[in-house]
Amino acid sequence: MDEKKALLQVEDLRTYFHTEDGVVKAVDGVTFEVFPGETLGIVGESGCGKSVTSLSIMRLLDEKGEIAGGKIFFDDQDIMAIPESKMMKIRGNDMAMIFQEPMTALNPVFTIGFQIMEAILLHQDVDEKQARKLAIEMLKKVGIPEPEKRIDEYPHELSGGMRQRAMIAMSLSCNPKLLFADEPTTALDVTIQAQILELMKSLQDQYGMALVMITHDLGVIAEMAQRVVVMYAGKVVEYADVHTLFKNPRHPYTWGLMNAIPKLDEDKEVLYNIPGVVPDPLDFPEGCRFNTRCPLATDKCQKEEPPLVEIENEHTAACWHIDKLIETIKVSRAGETA
Amino acid sequence: MPAKRKSEFRKVMKKYWTNGTAVLGTCLLFFFIVIAIFAPQIAGVNEMGDNYQIPRASWSSKPIPPSAEHPFGVIGGRDVFYGVVWGTRTAFRLGLIITGFAALIGVIVGSISAYFGGWVDEILMRITDIFLSIPFLVAAMVMTTILGKGLDKVIIALIIFGWMSTARLIRGNILQAREEQYVLAAKALGQKDWVIIIKHILPNTIFPVVVQMSMRIGSYVITAAGLSFLGVGAEPGYADWGTILSFSRNWMTMLDQSWFAIVFPGTAMVLFVLAWNLVGDALRDIFDPRMRS
Repeated sequence: MDEKKALLQVEDLRTYFHTEDGVVKAVDGVTFEVFPGETLGIVGESGCGKSVTSLSIMRLLDEKGEIAGGKIFFDDQDIMAIPESKMMKIRGNDMAMIFQEPMTALNPVFTIGFQIMEAILLHQDVDEKQARKLAIEMLKKVGIPEPEKRIDEYPHELSGGMRQRAMIAMSLSCNPKLLFADEPTTALDVTIQAQILELMKSLQDQYGMALVMITHDLGVIAEMAQRVVVMYAGKVVEYADVHTLFKNPRHPYTWGLMNAIPKLDEDKEVLYNIPGVVPDPLDFPEGCRFNTRCPLATDKCQKEEPPLVEIENEHTAACWHIDKLIETIKVSRAGETA
Repeated sequence: MPAKRKSEFRKVMKKYWTNGTAVLGTCLLFFFIVIAIFAPQIAGVNEMGDNYQIPRASWSSKPIPPSAEHPFGVIGGRDVFYGVVWGTRTAFRLGLIITGFAALIGVIVGSISAYFGGWVDEILMRITDIFLSIPFLVAAMVMTTILGKGLDKVIIALIIFGWMSTARLIRGNILQAREEQYVLAAKALGQKDWVIIIKHILPNTIFPVVVQMSMRIGSYVITAAGLSFLGVGAEPGYADWGTILSFSRNWMTMLDQSWFAIVFPGTAMVLFVLAWNLVGDALRDIFDPRMRS
């Protein structure tokens, strides 16, 4: 895959928030790349830094947040070096974002048409009439019925699924090269989730944009992504293509996440969960950050931080006890089939 | 687009006119506006010159009960009817000017405070606190005593001590709206900061201020009347509801002889305040699309 040129390249990204209680290292050394037209999934629990990663790349952090280190290259441009005015042109035009809550991400006092047209007028050289036409076209593309009528409706007049469609129309109206989808289906009910994911897939085929899918839902990842970054406590713990990841997880955290998914053919009273909670970002444990919750943790894990190493082609993981994990998985899977 | 806009407008108007309290408020307000405009036709003019001086109806200080010649009676030698009718103009002037300027100062202070944040916010909000910590009526009385008698002095005093709640309201609203995801979404679309403030944040924050303004127009009239009643407001004899009330002050123990000097201007005030409050409620329903549906 190295021959292909990455659209987005993130190297050792560190984003720190300076709060009154101390420095929160929300993202602490994250590296990945996104190739044109592909879907990269970023998975992790809430608070692991997935959203902050995307906000850092778009340079949308608030005053407290600061990119403390690392490099971001997008489309051959050094995102950290270009001036804000240029960044504004990139936002919405080349890089766009859709949010988790379609209700709060749309301005309640304007019609959805007005908001889609705002994006179009901002980046394209068209007059209002043409912008309106384009907006209607976009609404049609995202599957909103009667777009001529819906365009003049306010967000509160639409259902959750419709709002998310409008949001997608808004972010795709300028045909971006890269789209961040930050938990786009979390606030929707399951049938609508499937529709929205289907829609995003078909739009991706149509437009050929790259997609970064941020989610805590491995089901969404399995459905959408080609490659996956698993994040835990601000760090990448595993990075692989989706088939490898599901077949051979090489980090106990990934393995735990997969175990936590209910299976159709099993009749369990209690679902598995990873014991404990995500550590306080102000006070991460020494060594491996997962050591407080890891069933395989040893003294070494408490002292030394495991490096992210390539264990096979295009598959990296950060764990001291990969061999132990392989053994555990083998035993567990044997038990399942028996 | 125009056809569509019109139907939206019509929908709102239809909703407005089917809302009982909104209609009542609008009718009341309209009634006061008509009286204010046609004051010379309704109550006549002061032949002695200044129309805002209630002409003398008698030189005796004894109240004269309502009669055909003086429908609302006479108190302190002044015709109450003339005072109530011409006082409507005074009420509008008081309410609109005070609220307008107080809100303007409030919006400016509040937005600067919220937008710049940090020490600017700290200083402006502490100043606001200082103003708020002084009891309103006492402060206004002291101000008018310093500035001197007269309606314009009352207006200045009430503006000086009337902007704080608007400042706090708009500041809080902007701080809240700034954190909304649609602001982040607009940023993610590449919109400029000041456009976001004007286009996305202000429309979401200004409605409460408009509603608050319309509701306070009425209450400022009452406060001004209170100052006049206490003798630090408009000059005696000025066509103002509070001035008439202050004439009745000396006759408070003899209500059977002076009731009309309290009832008529008092009723006018109550209805005036009610009108603005109802209109304020209705305005919120119109302006805020979130309240529709």
